[in-house]
Amino acid sequence: MGRHSKRAGALSILFMGLGQLYNRQIIKGCILAVAEALYIIMLLPYTLSCIKGLVTLGDTPQRMVNGKIIQGDHSIFMMVYGIIAIIVLFLFVVLYIINVRDAFKVGKNRDEKKKVNSYKDSLRNLSEKGFVYLLLTPAGVFTLFLTVVPLAFGVMIAFTNYSSPNHLPPRSLVDWVGFQNFINLFQIPSLGKTFAGIARWTLIWAFLSTFTTFFVGLVFAVIINANKIVLKKFWRSIFILPWAVPGFISILIMRNMFNGQFGPINKYLTSIGIGAVPWLAEPFWAQTTCILVNLWLGFPYYMAMMSGVLTGIPRDLYEAASIEGANARQQFFQITLPMVLFATAPLVINGFAYNFNNFTLIYLLTNGNPANNQYFYAGHTDILLSWLYKLTLEQNQYHMAAVVSIIIFVFITIISAFNYMRTRSFKEEDMVQ
Amino acid sequence: MLRRNIIELRNLTKSYNDTVVVDAINLLIRENEFITLLGPSGCGKTTTLRMIGGFEDPNDGDIFFEGTRINNVPPYKRNINTVFQKYALFTHMNVYENIAFGLRIKKVPNDEMKKRVQRMLKLVDLEGFEKRHVDSLSGGQQQRVAIARALVNEPKVLLLDEPLGALDLKLRKEMQIELMDMQKNVGITFIYVTHDQEEALTMSDTVVVMNNGVIQQVGSPVDIYNEPENRFVADFIGESNILEGIMHEDFLVSFSGRKFRCVDKGFSKDEPVDVVIRPEDIDVTSPEDADLQGVVSSVVFKGVHYEMLVESGDFEYMIQSTDMQPVGAGIGLKFGPEDIHVMKRGSDNEK
Repeated sequence: MGRHSKRAGALSILFMGLGQLYNRQIIKGCILAVAEALYIIMLLPYTLSCIKGLVTLGDTPQRMVNGKIIQGDHSIFMMVYGIIAIIVLFLFVVLYIINVRDAFKVGKNRDEKKKVNSYKDSLRNLSEKGFVYLLLTPAGVFTLFLTVVPLAFGVMIAFTNYSSPNHLPPRSLVDWVGFQNFINLFQIPSLGKTFAGIARWTLIWAFLSTFTTFFVGLVFAVIINANKIVLKKFWRSIFILPWAVPGFISILIMRNMFNGQFGPINKYLTSIGIGAVPWLAEPFWAQTTCILVNLWLGFPYYMAMMSGVLTGIPRDLYEAASIEGANARQQFFQITLPMVLFATAPLVINGFAYNFNNFTLIYLLTNGNPANNQYFYAGHTDILLSWLYKLTLEQNQYHMAAVVSIIIFVFITIISAFNYMRTRSFKEEDMVQ
Repeated sequence: MLRRNIIELRNLTKSYNDTVVVDAINLLIRENEFITLLGPSGCGKTTTLRMIGGFEDPNDGDIFFEGTRINNVPPYKRNINTVFQKYALFTHMNVYENIAFGLRIKKVPNDEMKKRVQRMLKLVDLEGFEKRHVDSLSGGQQQRVAIARALVNEPKVLLLDEPLGALDLKLRKEMQIELMDMQKNVGITFIYVTHDQEEALTMSDTVVVMNNGVIQQVGSPVDIYNEPENRFVADFIGESNILEGIMHEDFLVSFSGRKFRCVDKGFSKDEPVDVVIRPEDIDVTSPEDADLQGVVSSVVFKGVHYEMLVESGDFEYMIQSTDMQPVGAGIGLKFGPEDIHVMKRGSDNEK
């Protein structure tokens, strides 16, 4: 290693910009030195206190002195400031590393008797070779503050006791509790039972709702695309309507239609002598109703998509199969079905992930009811997400909600990653022209 | 060698919405024959093939298979199989499953199925490809799978609808030879549809030239090329110079203001005729000892030969020669009596 590179590197580690000054890159060196000075003077004390706050989450609670409220530490704000301070510190460290590498590299060039870039050269270099990074910088900063900060915040909540009634800022402080929430979720009987029960129903719900919409959509698509059907466009438009109307409205209408006492469906059933069905009142029926309403809402999407896939299957495949003696049923099961499944499998997985989190339907149709008194703030039709909603916005149990959301996050991530890999392989297969 | 007829088309007609696509054609197809339906696109050749295969119902006329009328027999009972233009392979199955598809439907026992598929793989030279996904095969290999799938049912007739259309030139030439070998090996009738006249001449025992739904000429490749029956066939098959002439008597025809000896006879006295002279049959000589004189107006290099247009009188002759003549050169054109082919006047066989 040469003399200049060693010295420049060491100097720039000592203080940002010194190495550059040593390399006689005066302007660049000055800019870097000023940057570090500014950071140390203006931000460093604040950064350190924020990070300390993140560790302690505050130690002076709100107090009453002589009938007056004296504000204490707000643990949750401290946590957010702490996360932001860490990110700013991280950015500063990255800049520092770049500065050391730059000083070292320029020093090395001097050792090898190469030309040292002037300030103009450096600027040109940055706008030519570094153009990609320049463009990406705003996006990177946005990602850090708008994605990483909330995400980190959400994850951190899971390791605190942030909840009503005893740990709710600003009245009281929040403490770190490590993995206690995760342990509680599986060890406290009411919590564990709720989680297991809701998780099971969520999976059943996601599977059944996707499966039913998919196959009913397929059946409708096959029927509408059959040669003998007239008015194809008319049927397609009629059946797409439930999907075209905002789901919000149709779900609320459905909620009234299925009303046990006053709903038109039960009135009709009573009038023809079948009797009222407890559509939304009994656990089994409420779950069935959810799946039925979702089917009505969801199948047009699959129908529309599969119509496209079906028309994309070359006609000569069917001719080839008919020469081999395959009848209509065999043609459906050996050609139509596999081709459609191959083309739409990624969407099925997507649909599964969507229904797994289909908060709108559950919340608007049943609101998780009928209630289950063995559950921790949840009902028989609650899925994980609607339970989360109740935990946070209705019961202020943020710590448990964060734990559950981490579990959902892991689950959905696995599904999405799997889906992504499959999708790529499908693209290469080029099955349906 | 006289061979039995296997398929007979009688007055076969097909029209879509008043457009007649196939117009009352009659055709005899013999056993073990490689027969090609040749014509420009829209001439009705594919429709004819699809009627033989059973995918289209004729509006009129009959199809006989070994003497039995099969108009109403569904495709899979016809003992005829088809290789489709785009192969129509089942892309969600591997090579083995594609070939075994029909055997599975017919519930052929596993052992026998395996044997028959293996035999086919050997025939089309794809041994060891059983587990391969058909998408991972090249165009030529997919073509072979399609052929194997068609032949595994042991049909008596194989229909091929422009099967080499999607392949590049070199592969197409190789597959032409292979298809001919396969046809000889399995000893069944191939009915082949193409618009490529060179392909038809290379592969076929019999060529059926079609235009506008009507058969123009049926014959061996040599007959079709050397003795075209009318202007359309002469024009469609290869390059030709077609002139109007007068047949004075047997073996004597006049065109371009001169009388020539020829080898054709059987026309009435002074009948107007069309005369065909193939570009490669015209010899270039010095103007003095030639039948006709002309001036070269353009020269194009075609690889094997030069293609020259020569103006002589009010006709422009196309000549193919390995010797180049410069543009503007005055040259002589010479051809013998056997190079002149005389046809009845009239552009086309029409109904």
